[in-house]
Amino acid sequence: MAKLRAVCYINQFFAGLGGEEKAHEGLSVYEGAKGPSMGMAPMWKGEMEVVLTLSCGDNFFNLEEQYESVKPEILRLVKDAAPDVVIAGPAFNAGRYGVACGKFCDLITSQLGIPSVTSMFPTNPGVEMYLRKTYITPSAETAAGMRTTLPRLAALALKLAKKETIGPADVDGYIPSGVRINEVDAKSAATRVVDMLVAKLQGRPYVTEVPLRKDERVAPAPAIADPSKIRFGLITTGGLVPKGNPDKIKQYAADSYGTYPIDPSTWDSAHYESVHGGYDTTAVNKDPQRLIAYTAALELVKQGVIGSVTPYFMSTSGIGTNVGMGRKLGAEMAEKLKGDGVGAVFLTST
Amino acid sequence: MSMHLTRKYYPVRELQEGATCAYSGGVLTVNYEELLAVAKPYGKNISKIWFEVCRPGEDARIVHVLDTIQPMVKASAPENWGGKEYPGVLNHPYTCGNGVTHLLEGFALMECCALPWDEYSASSGLLYARDAVIQTTGFYSHYTPFADTLNLIVNFEVAPGKSSEEYDNDIRKSAMAIARHLAALTLGQEPEREEVFDNTPAEGLPKVALVWMCQNQGIYADTLLYGLPIDDIVPTLLEPNEMLDGASVSGNYVWPTFKIPTWVHVNGPTVLDLYSRHGKELNFAGVIFARSHQPSNWHKDRCAQLIAKIAGQIGCEGLIMQWEGGGNACIDGMLTVQNCERRGIRAALFTFEFGGKDGTEGQLLVDDVPEADAVVSGGSWERPVHLEPVKVAYGGQTLRLDKEKGGFFPDATGPLDFETNVHMYMGGNQSGYSKITAHAY
Repeated sequence: MAKLRAVCYINQFFAGLGGEEKAHEGLSVYEGAKGPSMGMAPMWKGEMEVVLTLSCGDNFFNLEEQYESVKPEILRLVKDAAPDVVIAGPAFNAGRYGVACGKFCDLITSQLGIPSVTSMFPTNPGVEMYLRKTYITPSAETAAGMRTTLPRLAALALKLAKKETIGPADVDGYIPSGVRINEVDAKSAATRVVDMLVAKLQGRPYVTEVPLRKDERVAPAPAIADPSKIRFGLITTGGLVPKGNPDKIKQYAADSYGTYPIDPSTWDSAHYESVHGGYDTTAVNKDPQRLIAYTAALELVKQGVIGSVTPYFMSTSGIGTNVGMGRKLGAEMAEKLKGDGVGAVFLTST
Repeated sequence: MSMHLTRKYYPVRELQEGATCAYSGGVLTVNYEELLAVAKPYGKNISKIWFEVCRPGEDARIVHVLDTIQPMVKASAPENWGGKEYPGVLNHPYTCGNGVTHLLEGFALMECCALPWDEYSASSGLLYARDAVIQTTGFYSHYTPFADTLNLIVNFEVAPGKSSEEYDNDIRKSAMAIARHLAALTLGQEPEREEVFDNTPAEGLPKVALVWMCQNQGIYADTLLYGLPIDDIVPTLLEPNEMLDGASVSGNYVWPTFKIPTWVHVNGPTVLDLYSRHGKELNFAGVIFARSHQPSNWHKDRCAQLIAKIAGQIGCEGLIMQWEGGGNACIDGMLTVQNCERRGIRAALFTFEFGGKDGTEGQLLVDDVPEADAVVSGGSWERPVHLEPVKVAYGGQTLRLDKEKGGFFPDATGPLDFETNVHMYMGGNQSGYSKITAHAY
């Protein structure tokens, strides 16, 4: 059976041309393996060979104009070499090299439909940029870790070349892209959680299935020095909308909000209702002021306690909305209110 | 004092109609007139009851599902332990968990009803039972145990003009009466197998408790403990056997994905798993039962601290955290984990995750704490759901969806696409029953 074919991409340093002083070098083309890919060949046990190695200087490849000039030639060379997979790097923690490796893989996979893989240290900026465009196996921080880095890269490259189904990140040894897929496990969640607790109690290793997120804290805003000089906005996450829900704000997992003028002649239960899906809205449906205390705010204006209040309110349904969407909606509301001269808001949650 | 419960199992491999209800050698014979007569005293606000049967292996969809009950009956109990099956629902709320209980195994009794979309609950999200769907084939059949059980579906039509409280009460009691009647057919017969549940302390092994936090937000969103909703419950220590005998009963129909039916309360996957390791790897000390969806920070701290206190008081070294409900309940669960870990009690938990269409949107959890470092994923409820058409629908022939947008009423057997799994019964995997998880790619 014919051997599978790989094309590799490396930078000027690993091609043996030189370091920083050669980072402007253009495209070099080598028959067969060159540099680190020579170390991968034995790992493929004769199933795959490197047929072509391409190299560019890191600065050259990262400059958009030069990259564009060499792109057609790269595509032609790779297409002619007809590889089953392309492999870039490993780039370790070299930022420009990492970005170049990601860029190369993305180009070949998106333009020619050939699978690609590269390898970088997890904090290499190229990881964040190309995580969802190509497979990236984690590498050591520097080339001193070449020996521990190559086996994973070689194994995933071979699997891709064979067009085998790629398993989850922890099984096939690549950096997770953020995509998570629902699948059926061999054991129930109940059994797995007891397994995990027993391991924890016995001091054995265990791996959480939901990665911990970084501790995020929202610092409280400083206190308002003089409310009598401030224009107040009105926001609720209690799902208050004009009857009929004109903006079709979702009852759950809302991804929008509405801005509604308050007309004192229609500011009543005949004209407003709550569409929130997570609390008993009976009281609110009897009186919208349970959520937006507009009359009380006007009274405060009259007494000179606050400067003024907007004649409208903003509303969404705060239930089941993920944190990212919540942040986006909040920022949009704040932006609009700031544009209207608002310096503080009455925010009623439920 | 630990409890000693013998569960005797009577499998239902076939169900047939006959002149009178009977159980013999795995065959359950039902007479529907007889069952209607059993339910009648409890059904003042029910206008019609009719039955359907969904067998394992059928290409079916069950809709309008409210609660699902494990039919069982208390055969005997020691003196001074008068608690029967599901105490407090149809009988006096004496303590259960001891003696002998008969169960119809591999069998479920399902309440199905298109509860009215009336003005009383028209725009109140909470009081609205969203259509719950069970698919018995394909990927989504993994969500519930009910693709593998023989299901007797009790369809209810309610009398017009009555309150949600009355409908809720009558449906539950009618169904419970039928379940008890069927299970009682086994009295005096030899079981096919039996299991003994006795958590006499296993010396030298770490004490572990299960924290079971259930939703309670009003009619159609309640959980009953010994016959009463748990609105103001102080976290309570139960023996695991009380759970097995039906001390807690679900009355929660609002979000099908975030619910644990009564059948799963009494066949709790975590309770059964902890029991299977009792005396081997751990010492199953009890179930700390509490309310999820605590209404404010004040309540949340109060509840979480009391749970940690009880766990410490009974000498727990480890704890499994399990909750019913959405993001609000997640905060309660995380606070509990944090309080326990800070007192030196090791905790592990399972939860559904978010993440949008493919895991990349927003955060995976509404809340987490640094102490929650042992989290099992029950899969994401936010992934789009595609249901293939089925041969037959039970519980109703038309789905009722999207009330807040004016309603959408697709054919119950046709292909269905949902943005999330919110309508899928037990889709959030909050009992730990399902093997569905999420893998990072």
